[in-house]
Amino acid sequence: MADDAAARLYQAFVSEDPASAISVIEGAKSAGTNQAQLFDSLFAPAMSLLGGAWASGAIDEYTFTQAAVVAEQIGSFVTPPAAAQDTGVTVLIGSMHRDYHSVDKNIIGAALKEAGYRVVDLGVDVRPADFLDRLEETGARLLVVCASMVGTAKNVARVREMLVTEERDNVLLLVSGGPFVADLELAKKVGANGVVRGAESALRIIDKISRDKLAGGA
Amino acid sequence: MPTRRGSQDRRKERAERSVAPRKSAQKDEPTPATTVKAPRVTGEPTPQGKVPRRNALFPIGVNYYPLDAETQSWDDWYASDVSENFERIAEARFTIVRLFVSWKMLEPQVGQYSEDALDRLQDVIDAARANKLQVIVCFFADDRLSELMDVPWGKKRNPHTDSYLIQREVALIQKIVSRFRTDSSIFAWDLANEAFCTGFGSAAELEDWVSVMREAVREVDTERPVIVSVDPETLYRHTGVDPRAAIDTCEFAVSHSTAPYRAYAAEGPISFGPSTYLDSFLLRSAARDLPVLADDMGVFALEYSAAEEAAHVRTSLYSAFINRAAGAMLRRFRDLDTERREPYFRDPFEVLVGINDVNGEPKPAFDEVVAFARVAARIDLRRYSLIQERTAVMIPSERYLPLPNLAGLYDPRACLQAYIGAKQAHVPVTIARETDDFGAYSVLIVPSAFRLAEETWERLAEFVQGGGSIVLSYGGGDAHHAVRDLFGVEFLGDGGGRESVTCRVAQADVLGSLRSFDATMETPNYALLGHGGATVVATDAKGSPLLTVNQLGQGRAIFVAFPIERALAQGDPWAAPVAVTDMLRAVYGAAASAAGCGAPVTCDVPEVEVALFQGEEDDVLVLLNHASAKVTANVSTDRQLATIADVRGGSPVVVGGTEFGVPLDPNGTATLRLAYE
Amino acid sequence: MAPRSQQLALAEGLARQNHIQPAVEACYQALANNERDPLVHCLLADLMLYGDFYDEAINSASRAIEIDPDCSPAYLALGLGYDRRGGMWDQSILVWHELAEVEPDLVTAHVQLGEAFAAAAFDDEAIDAWRAALELDPAEARAMYNLAVAALKKEGMSTALPGIRKAGELDPTQDDLFFELAGVVDDGNPAPDPADVPHERDAMITAAGALAFEDDYFAAAELIRGVLEDNPDDPEALGLSAYLYLKQEAVNEAMACALRALTISTRTPTAVYTLGVAFSKRPGLNRNAARVFSALAKTVSGHPMPHVLYAESLLGLQRYSQAADAYRTAISLDPTCVRARFGLAMVLLTEGRYAESMWEIRRAAYHDTRHQGLFWQLYDEYAEGRS
Repeated sequence: MADDAAARLYQAFVSEDPASAISVIEGAKSAGTNQAQLFDSLFAPAMSLLGGAWASGAIDEYTFTQAAVVAEQIGSFVTPPAAAQDTGVTVLIGSMHRDYHSVDKNIIGAALKEAGYRVVDLGVDVRPADFLDRLEETGARLLVVCASMVGTAKNVARVREMLVTEERDNVLLLVSGGPFVADLELAKKVGANGVVRGAESALRIIDKISRDKLAGGA
Repeated sequence: MPTRRGSQDRRKERAERSVAPRKSAQKDEPTPATTVKAPRVTGEPTPQGKVPRRNALFPIGVNYYPLDAETQSWDDWYASDVSENFERIAEARFTIVRLFVSWKMLEPQVGQYSEDALDRLQDVIDAARANKLQVIVCFFADDRLSELMDVPWGKKRNPHTDSYLIQREVALIQKIVSRFRTDSSIFAWDLANEAFCTGFGSAAELEDWVSVMREAVREVDTERPVIVSVDPETLYRHTGVDPRAAIDTCEFAVSHSTAPYRAYAAEGPISFGPSTYLDSFLLRSAARDLPVLADDMGVFALEYSAAEEAAHVRTSLYSAFINRAAGAMLRRFRDLDTERREPYFRDPFEVLVGINDVNGEPKPAFDEVVAFARVAARIDLRRYSLIQERTAVMIPSERYLPLPNLAGLYDPRACLQAYIGAKQAHVPVTIARETDDFGAYSVLIVPSAFRLAEETWERLAEFVQGGGSIVLSYGGGDAHHAVRDLFGVEFLGDGGGRESVTCRVAQADVLGSLRSFDATMETPNYALLGHGGATVVATDAKGSPLLTVNQLGQGRAIFVAFPIERALAQGDPWAAPVAVTDMLRAVYGAAASAAGCGAPVTCDVPEVEVALFQGEEDDVLVLLNHASAKVTANVSTDRQLATIADVRGGSPVVVGGTEFGVPLDPNGTATLRLAYE
Repeated sequence: MAPRSQQLALAEGLARQNHIQPAVEACYQALANNERDPLVHCLLADLMLYGDFYDEAINSASRAIEIDPDCSPAYLALGLGYDRRGGMWDQSILVWHELAEVEPDLVTAHVQLGEAFAAAAFDDEAIDAWRAALELDPAEARAMYNLAVAALKKEGMSTALPGIRKAGELDPTQDDLFFELAGVVDDGNPAPDPADVPHERDAMITAAGALAFEDDYFAAAELIRGVLEDNPDDPEALGLSAYLYLKQEAVNEAMACALRALTISTRTPTAVYTLGVAFSKRPGLNRNAARVFSALAKTVSGHPMPHVLYAESLLGLQRYSQAADAYRTAISLDPTCVRARFGLAMVLLTEGRYAESMWEIRRAAYHDTRHQGLFWQLYDEYAEGRS
């Protein structure tokens, strides 16, 4: 079945018939092949056939090139999505008030976005009240506060205090930055729920949180 | 200065000094740090409340600079109240602060001293005393900000050589020493810092100046130590001036690394690799007959994160402690508030990074000092002592030859690599000089030297015939004729540079667990050797000897046919071929083991530095992870262990064997009390 | 200006052969005769740089410039000395500015200037300098690597990764991997004229590889066609075809040829390589690329580039720590691998390890500039100009 579909897809390529190619792909999908498998199970064998045909001289150079154009046109049907699926989870991120370091925040924020999180980047020098306002506005329950200096890192406690005052106990506060990496106690002192040690760490922690604690809500 | 280094006589002197009250002591005087008595530590966790607060024989201090911000002016010199900071310093178990005299403040006009400035200095010293801190007073320092030396009437005379200014310097010293000589809180008089000493044009100039200043102190105060806080290696590197003779006139020495020296000797990240061994290498290099204070600990630039700073400080402190430092001084109390730059606020020209931030908030590095002090306090150095180092890396005298001779540039790096190799073989190792008496050592490592003195060859031959072992790697050029007899090899010539190193093991287990390998590594020379009686342990791919062992008299002479340490140093230290470093480690380890001075315990992770403090009933094992990754160090001992326990307390863990594993965080440490069956 | 002294000529000869110690001695002899010869001082500076003795290099280069402010090779040595010595970014910026003025077309001066700006945290100025370098030479890989790092700092990995891949393609080391896999060795001889190649499979394959090495893709393709006419199932010929298509931006054709080759024989490293590169050009195929490059890294474990390519595909999958491991493997195999060092610098940035990241970039810059042999180019031009 798969071989047959690949052969038909190949035929569509050399016939310069993108509509038939799409039809073959849709047929495979409806037969149960999921998007992630389409490339390996259908597109790649068809391309191999195409290469074989060119090598043997069954198709000429011009046909080969045109077939490649068709393959390009239908590429998006068989390629796994470049961006991850939307997780539905909103994450607020920003650097603490009087902290102008942005690199950490930018990289972590971008990595989370790439992984399908809805990231709201509040920038640098964010006052605790602004974090609270944006939490209210977005309904987010995940907050990442970055601080690269000891003074600003300690001030993250003010964010926690405001969360308590505003009875936003359901918000998970994660912290990032050298002072927290160096001193895990500091993170506890400021009332953080966890320490993010870079982009991969952020992905891992937030993935776990979203699975364990945020299931069913943003 | 308390010390664990030096002769028994010095120990005795120290013991006497530490218990004898000073003549000037007043009734309400605080007890000097050096007299703090540690309780007798037992194998059991010490009950809370009776734990010593600090290690009496390993004081910790910090430099307290006069200005905290670039926006401050020179006349703000110690203008702010220091009491609160000193209180925190004392609470954190520090015992020493170093203060910096401002000549410009104290003598605004020739011969006229500012009472206001003297009172200011008095206030700071009073605050130190009130907090049971002792003070090192540094007279002549250049901190690049406070204009300490810029007396307006100096008319640009050279303060290092001008006789008139020297006369005024003497007067200043005597003015200050006279005023404070009875003050129990003065720990030592520091004549000058290294920045100031870079202004001397020759060793003789420096020695003369130190001699005059020291005499000036001694005329008024005959007791307290006098020092000059230069590192013999770094100052020589920067200026070509060898300060050893000047240092030798002092009561104790200091060691420190500097930013340029780190760039020269161990460039790269500070949390792993060769640079993590640099501080102890310099410490060992500085340690000759004097105790050495590990000085100026901390990072140089503001570009490091708080976590990196903390890891660096932790590594430096433990390195100092397990390598016989007499104490430790942190570089600076508070970060200098510099002009801010986005995004990292780096100012690479200032090396003034503190253990507190610009607002005075303690940084993680500060907490590291506190945590270290707590651990160090549990190790009574009167009861526990490090195993004597019987292996030494020999720094050749050619290291002091000027350009165009390149030995002076290559040798320190090669010696550092050798030191690291020995450390990674867990061999207790120190540094010796070519002219030193070799009698204290069982193994000498001579790393990639170009040339040794004629008499050194004779002394080496005597050393080996008397039972010593020597590991010498070929340094290039014509080999000395003594090589033939000493190493039992026929030198046929320098085969020149090679792009790769190959090893084919001919005799297994003669020099540890060697393995055959092919590694890509440039080496500048390769000795072509003929057989001359030595055992060929390994060869290159074509059978030319690579490693040989010659039994001579009572000792052994091991020859490595290429400058292995120099090749490692000149290559990329973070991409050194593992096979080559393994071979180096195996050779050093085997040489030391065969000489009876090998690793006191075995450990399967080379990057974990091991130090064993031996006591009568039990031992204390310190492990220091030089890697920036988590590791588990599997340790085994010769003796059957009963229990191990963290020295800070907690329940001892029953081992009942000779092996145990210790998980270590990146740049982490463990300090364990080992009780034997 | 004085002609080159005999001692200087001797020093030059020794330095060009990397005989450092005698070259330094010859320089000192030359200076004993004429202390004011800037050529000797700048040669000495380069010799000191060769040994990583930065302070000495700075002193000698500074002296050369003091004697002749137009001594361009001394600026190069001085700037490199400052950069490597570290902590002297302000001076470094000034030096690279000066060199860019003395030699306005010198691309490396702009690249280095950008790196000095970046190290001093003047990121916008750094970007301007790298763009200026790319205006002079659109194929300047190091400027692109740096721009990728700058993009990472501001916009994250998904923006930076295409940049580093693009830079990698400009970097000839990736092609070097292919030719090594194809068994093409640069023996210094020109590729044969296709007309002279006998109609034998091995001869045609070898000649096609040599022609591809010389960027003569059409002639190479002709020969490959000849091989395929005899045997359309020749996997090596198909692997080479895939490469030729790849070089002409015909990604799908390359993929078709590579897949066909691998259908015939899974042990065709050239096809594995081209397939991986083709995959990495398609957003969404990072997982496939990682699979392919992982296999290649295992097969050709002693070559750094498969590990670099594998690392880049892992970056696309957000598996940063694994990528760091792969980069470190590449660096252990080749410490001069600029692409791996920039890649590792990027991973270190994602972990918040700025200082280490900057160090990797400095190290990459050092190897890249040394690799270019720029000193001798400037030195010869300067020496010629003054004679």
